[in-house]
Amino acid sequence: MTAPFRFETVAHLESPAGLSASSLDSLREAIERAPDDSIFQHVTRIPARHPHARDLPANDFARWVGTALQAPEAAERLAFAGADPSRPIAEVRAALLAALERVPARDRRREVSEDAILRFVQARSVRVPLDIEAVTPAEAIGLWPQLDAGSVFYHLIEAPLRGNTGTSLAAWLRAQGAGGLARAAEEEVAEGRPLERLRRELGARWRRSLIGRRIAEKAGAPEAERRRDATATIARLAERLRTEGETR
Amino acid sequence: MSEVMAPQAPPGGWLARYEAVVGSGTLRALEALARRLKGHRVVMVNTTKTGGGVAEILHRVVVILNELGVPTTWEVMEGDDRFFGVTKRMHNALHGHVEPLTEEDKAVFRERTRIEADRLALDGDLIFIHDPQPAGLIEYRRQPGQKWMWRCHIDLSRRDETYWEFLRPLVAQYDTAIFSHIGFVPPLDLPTYLVPPSIDPFAEKNREMDEAEVDGMMDTLGLSERGPWVTQISRFDRIKDPLGVLEAYRLVRKRRAAARLLLAGGGASDDPEGAEVLAEVRERAKGVPGVTVLELPSGSDREINALQRASTVVLQKSLREGFALTVSEALWKRRAVVASAVGGIPLQVLHERTGLLVHSIEGTALQTIRLLDNPDLRRELGSEGREHVRDNFLHTREVRDYLAAFAALL
Repeated sequence: MTAPFRFETVAHLESPAGLSASSLDSLREAIERAPDDSIFQHVTRIPARHPHARDLPANDFARWVGTALQAPEAAERLAFAGADPSRPIAEVRAALLAALERVPARDRRREVSEDAILRFVQARSVRVPLDIEAVTPAEAIGLWPQLDAGSVFYHLIEAPLRGNTGTSLAAWLRAQGAGGLARAAEEEVAEGRPLERLRRELGARWRRSLIGRRIAEKAGAPEAERRRDATATIARLAERLRTEGETR
Repeated sequence: MSEVMAPQAPPGGWLARYEAVVGSGTLRALEALARRLKGHRVVMVNTTKTGGGVAEILHRVVVILNELGVPTTWEVMEGDDRFFGVTKRMHNALHGHVEPLTEEDKAVFRERTRIEADRLALDGDLIFIHDPQPAGLIEYRRQPGQKWMWRCHIDLSRRDETYWEFLRPLVAQYDTAIFSHIGFVPPLDLPTYLVPPSIDPFAEKNREMDEAEVDGMMDTLGLSERGPWVTQISRFDRIKDPLGVLEAYRLVRKRRAAARLLLAGGGASDDPEGAEVLAEVRERAKGVPGVTVLELPSGSDREINALQRASTVVLQKSLREGFALTVSEALWKRRAVVASAVGGIPLQVLHERTGLLVHSIEGTALQTIRLLDNPDLRRELGSEGREHVRDNFLHTREVRDYLAAFAALL
């Protein structure tokens, strides 16, 4: 038995990182030197900045290269390099640099005007407890729809990336013996979807897994108990259909 | 009395109304952040209780913070004509206009600051000073254990260094500075955060309006002819490039004769340069069919709301910008926006997702035609734009950032 899972939320305070780029060359230099919190802000935090988007916008570097520098090929490569928010910052940085290395040298020196310079930002995380906790995986899944986008982002993406295993939801689920639910969370995060969609799809996947798990648990129960449960389930279903009929 | 009485909240409070817009999870997160500040008191200070964006924001933010359980008061620094004469020049100079700064100006600023420092109730734990006018209060009133934050709402990227050198030693005494956009930040040796401004979805300028109300307002304004309207609503100022908008419209009109242009805005009655620009726009518009130029008095919030909602395409073809919250206002109304990639606009308009960014008159014309021809694209951009504003440019997000900045400071 592990400790209950205490949900937190996070707000990200943005501040200047002291670096800027005006060409692909200077972008490469700045990405090399940028603190991890800056790569985190411009790439990893995109799902938290656009939780309700239809699909995830490209990271800031790719968008700047596409719109300010008007270099679509480099923009596509940068977008792809930052598409998986679960990727460790060091890997993201290396992938971005590799994408820029592939741009022909003659195209790297084109400068944008002063107004279009990209100034790097970094994000500092301010974590606070939400005062809700789950003792079992089923409880955590029940609480899932109540969380804000910051909480979903922190427990699924930021905590594992920062090595905060005590606040990683997947790590806790695994410690609870719910490896399947943890794997589902990690797979959904790697898809790189906006947070609200991620929350919805992961929630549905978890609920389906729980149904299977409950059926398996009940299979070994005595006949009388299974009959009782079946009757209660049918009664609940009938009640739900009746309520839905009334509201329609 | 210097303390501003916050306006009456609607039944159930503002938070309950916001919950319907941003969801209960967001409210729960705000409450969690507010709990971190338990036992602390915030004092907001600016120099006006009505008029201007800062007062508008404070009217709502102060109420929301109190509803969240963070006791917050709002003090207004007062001054005489001489003081506000100096601060008006300071404001212009920090925006990039060349203005003289005399020793007498400095003395007027210091003297009024000292008088107000004695008068204002600055006894909270967190003193939150808005803009340069009250920035000097820290010198006279800082008490042990207090934290002071300076929130600069203006763009300092083209600042007059004479004024900034006068202000900088005052700002350097603060624990934290906050700016709206990274491009506005001057070199400072203190923790600096970026908090974009935000809009109020329940304000007269942004509240929901049905079609009948919009049509009624268009009739009242003498705009009964139905569009498609291409609109730019901005004060008549050269940096908003109204003449560039006219040129772009000429190109649109050659290919889409049904399109109509509306250039609406204020700034002409109290600003000689604004009046000059308005006259020039009117003169140039004479030769272009389908153009309406409308001068709006200040406080035309309901009119602006209706005009934006009646528009098929909203333009913001500025040559330079501060944050340009008019873009968020249009996006909140699900309008299709074509805007220049300057200032804070690219944070609001994500190209091809929440609107279309342009860099030239021809680009403006081309993207306007594209939107006029494509209702599905307008709907998609408008819908994504509204979600983008919901996530990033409503007052609840600004309150969240302030709470996080307070928490980081304590």
